[in-house]
Amino acid sequence: MVIVMQERATGEQVERVIAQLVEMGFDIHRSTGALRTVIGAVGGKTADPRLIELLDGVQEVLRITEPYKLASRSFKPENTVISVGDVRIGGDEVIVMAGPCSAETPEQVDAAAAAVKRAGAKILRGGAYKPRSSPYSFQGLGEEGLRMLRGAADRHHLKLISEVMDISQIETIEKYADILQVGARNMQNYTLLRELGKSKAPVMLKRGISATIEEWLLSAEYILAGGNMNVTLCERGIRTFESYTRNTLDISAIPVVQQLSHLPIIVDPSHGTGRRDKVASMARAAVAAGADGLIIEVHCDPDHAMSDGAQSMFPAQFDRLMAELRIIAPAIGRSICLEPVARRGWSR
Amino acid sequence: MSIDELRRRIDEIDTDLVALLNARAECALAIGQAKKAAGLDLYQPARESDVLHHVQHINGGPLDDEAVKRLFERIIDEARRLERLADLE
Repeated sequence: MVIVMQERATGEQVERVIAQLVEMGFDIHRSTGALRTVIGAVGGKTADPRLIELLDGVQEVLRITEPYKLASRSFKPENTVISVGDVRIGGDEVIVMAGPCSAETPEQVDAAAAAVKRAGAKILRGGAYKPRSSPYSFQGLGEEGLRMLRGAADRHHLKLISEVMDISQIETIEKYADILQVGARNMQNYTLLRELGKSKAPVMLKRGISATIEEWLLSAEYILAGGNMNVTLCERGIRTFESYTRNTLDISAIPVVQQLSHLPIIVDPSHGTGRRDKVASMARAAVAAGADGLIIEVHCDPDHAMSDGAQSMFPAQFDRLMAELRIIAPAIGRSICLEPVARRGWSR
Repeated sequence: MSIDELRRRIDEIDTDLVALLNARAECALAIGQAKKAAGLDLYQPARESDVLHHVQHINGGPLDDEAVKRLFERIIDEARRLERLADLE
């Protein structure tokens, strides 16, 4: 870090700062200027900059390294590509995950899986354990829901992603799902993250509703530090003063994360907007901005969905979106499921 | 003197400087051990201040005193680092 002393800082104050830094194990590069002294501190342990900022005579402390290591681009310059069977997240192909918010009935899950497969999705999404804002809302079907999802994924040759809310669910969900999703509400559930670090299963970590990108990457660091390097990040919108959309989808997080980290980043335009009619626009924007994938809620009868119906797309809307993405992705040197299984009419 | 001759002269001076800096570093290392034996801190601001005053006092230019001070601050920084690393061994 770099410590900028105040203009009127005394020699004693500079000495006090150096003494503190030396005690913390830093090597010092002292530079006495005409007006002020600047102290470069290198090596040493990761220190809380506030400990230095509080010392008399200090104007400003600038951190020059990131607090996360394994997640950082400087630790691993090349992109991480996560293999889920034959699906590769973080490679040239934009991977689309789609499906219902929650597993409700075998028929509902199967219909959604068939629809998203036909449109070109590679991974089925669906929740069996649902973190709902209200304790009185539908909470998910648990293992029964996982069985439905796995069955539908296998029948339609899709991989499966499902959310884990608690340590106690990891073992069960690992049996059924190919990717474990950590939801926005659990981004800072560090006990859960540590436990997922011991797992070998790929994890998709959603950004917390009010988390900074740094906090988000620090959460990823918990999983990586445990030895599980298969982490995908997912931007899903953050809370701002704007209330028209459910959240404000932070598209700028994509290039920022890609600069700071080697981990793949995908985008959830469904939660990002909370409105079915805004999902396609934001999905297109995310792909154009360089996202490695999308996770989208699709329901064959969204008006009767047990959760998140308002933000779930109709299959026909999803078909149309996928066709549009096939035009956008090549423009930035990416591909996206070139061969849709079947074409259907584009009607909204 | 030609540019080539001046550059050769600089190379000779640099050779002397590196030898002198290393001789100085040897002293610093020995002092580091003595400080450790006496239970003194690695960082001795009063002594560093004396060193900086001394080199400015004897300075005859053309480098101004502030320039000499900045150069010796770096020399001291590196000596302190050397002492710290030796202490880890």
